[in-house]
Amino acid sequence: MKNATSLRVDVLEGARIAVFSLRANRLRTVLTTLGIGIGVATLLAIVGIIQGLNTSFHRQLASFGANTLYVSKFPWMIKGDWWKYRNRKNFTLEQLPRLRAMAPFITAMSPSVSRLSDVSYGGEQMSSVRIQGVNHEYLGIAGFDITGGRFITESDEEVTRPVAVLGADVAERLFPGISPVGRSIRVDNRSFQVVGTLSRKGKVVNESMDLLVLIPFKTFYSNFGKGRPFEIAMAVADASQVRMAEDQLIGILRRLRGTEPGQPDDFNINKPEAMAQTYAQLTGALYGVAVGVGLITLLVGGIGIMNIMLVSVRERTREIGVRRALGARKRTIVVQFLMEAASVSAVGGLLGTTVGLGTAKVVSLITPLAADVQTSTVLGGVFFAALVGLLFGIWPAARAANLDPVEALRYE
Amino acid sequence: MSDGSGAGTGRLIQVDDITRVFHVGGEEVRALRGVTFGISRGEWVAIIGQSGSGKSTMMNVLGCLDTPTSGRYMLNGKDVSRMSDDELAVIRNVEIGFIFQTFQLLPKETALANVELPLVYRGMAAKERRERAKAALDKVQLTHRMHHRPNELSGGQRQRVAIARALVSEPSMLLADEPTGNLDSATGEEIVRLFEQLHQAGHTLVLVTHEPKLAARCPRAIRLSDGEIVADGPGREVAMGVAGPMVAGV
Repeated sequence: MKNATSLRVDVLEGARIAVFSLRANRLRTVLTTLGIGIGVATLLAIVGIIQGLNTSFHRQLASFGANTLYVSKFPWMIKGDWWKYRNRKNFTLEQLPRLRAMAPFITAMSPSVSRLSDVSYGGEQMSSVRIQGVNHEYLGIAGFDITGGRFITESDEEVTRPVAVLGADVAERLFPGISPVGRSIRVDNRSFQVVGTLSRKGKVVNESMDLLVLIPFKTFYSNFGKGRPFEIAMAVADASQVRMAEDQLIGILRRLRGTEPGQPDDFNINKPEAMAQTYAQLTGALYGVAVGVGLITLLVGGIGIMNIMLVSVRERTREIGVRRALGARKRTIVVQFLMEAASVSAVGGLLGTTVGLGTAKVVSLITPLAADVQTSTVLGGVFFAALVGLLFGIWPAARAANLDPVEALRYE
Repeated sequence: MSDGSGAGTGRLIQVDDITRVFHVGGEEVRALRGVTFGISRGEWVAIIGQSGSGKSTMMNVLGCLDTPTSGRYMLNGKDVSRMSDDELAVIRNVEIGFIFQTFQLLPKETALANVELPLVYRGMAAKERRERAKAALDKVQLTHRMHHRPNELSGGQRQRVAIARALVSEPSMLLADEPTGNLDSATGEEIVRLFEQLHQAGHTLVLVTHEPKLAARCPRAIRLSDGEIVADGPGREVAMGVAGPMVAGV
């Protein structure tokens, strides 16, 4: 009990002396605080921006639908020899009903093929618009909603009707303020009648998901050439079934494509989730380097604190002697100097947090990077700063406490 | 006249055959060579000697700032010669009131805060601390200056603040190291009168000095030379060198 009381006294008195001493040396305090503050600010700004990137990337990926799979002869992220994939057999439209029959867990399925084309209406023209041929089930897979008109129907498919459903970017650009439904647009000088418009999905890795025109799959083939390899977009009932579906699909697709046992798969099952992993690998290294830079800055700040604390101990040698003579224990002196070091760092940490968050916010306002700082990062930053102060304060504090009171009292 | 034997009981201070050896650059320096004396409660004793006589070492040991190499030091019934650093800190806080030649006040704190300091380390509540510190400053007639910092006070006033700081924790003894050394003679006289009053009020005072004049004012003085006691007797006699050697073998 007595020990607990005296620790309380040590901490209270330590805190009082710390504040007193920091106020007495304002300029020094501000400079030391800046050192640690800049470290924390750098760290937080970098982490904030990277966390922002991650969050927005994952949010965008989620718009693909967590319950979707895309089967293709190409992987989404090609590693190594492109020709290896190029030379794989194409999927054929005839395989689709068979695949459907073999894989009853698939709730929606659509072939998907695309190209980039110029699209125009009246005098307005847009280039590099993705023209995508899909069937009537695609809406349920891709995660779009219809904002006006209707989606592609089975009968559009059957009679290869020249109809189009516009992505939000195209609709807004070509038809500002008016409804596009019922009007005719030109895609590479072919006329298509607009039957509907899609909701906005946003960007994935800075690429708009809304700069597209959907047309019936067969219409695409008859207008822009058959024989283009297509991928098969499919959805399962919910995200928890994706793994199971993937496993079963491998066997089904091998049978469908007549892959010999012992041969590797000659197709890829692409998932938004797999893209996230590739992305994480790419940003992981960047993240490491950035955090490393921030930590080095903090280290420099910490050394600054240690330096100042050593000066402070030297300046106050006699004071330490007096306090020891009047009954201060070694621990009291240690706590006093640790409190001083930790409070400078904590103030620096707080300042750094504010500046760091501010920087991340400003960056997110003036650039496409979306900063997103999580609470854990902020708390981590302040805690880490205080920890740095404590760590770098230990040595000076120990030096102060171990001064011989007799020598300290005599110190000039 | 006090006898130098170590047999005394009920004494406030009893040192028996104290030695203190320092090692300086590979050389052994024997600052105290078997010192024995006792001080009773309410006594006013001067410890005098030339520089190098061992009186500062004696003061550090008596003040529990240093521990003897050998021998025993009983303070208020407790053997403090083998105590740990933390235990000594408590003893200094409770049993000893220091008065230094250079006052040793904390320059950035007010007189009141300086006087409060020993009570802070005792863990006393702020309000009680303040009341006691004011009372101590009242004893040295400095209540009107309590919110001033040391650099706003005269030398005599600073020493009175230091005395108030020594008194505030109601210690068993006041230990003063050349208390008038940094003061002009008039102010020094003022401080000595204050000591006389404290002595009359029953305080135990131990005063370390090299000034015979000051020692002569004390009822008892102990003279140290080369780390040994060479005289112990009435202050006037010891100060003037009249008192004979009190310790066998000298």
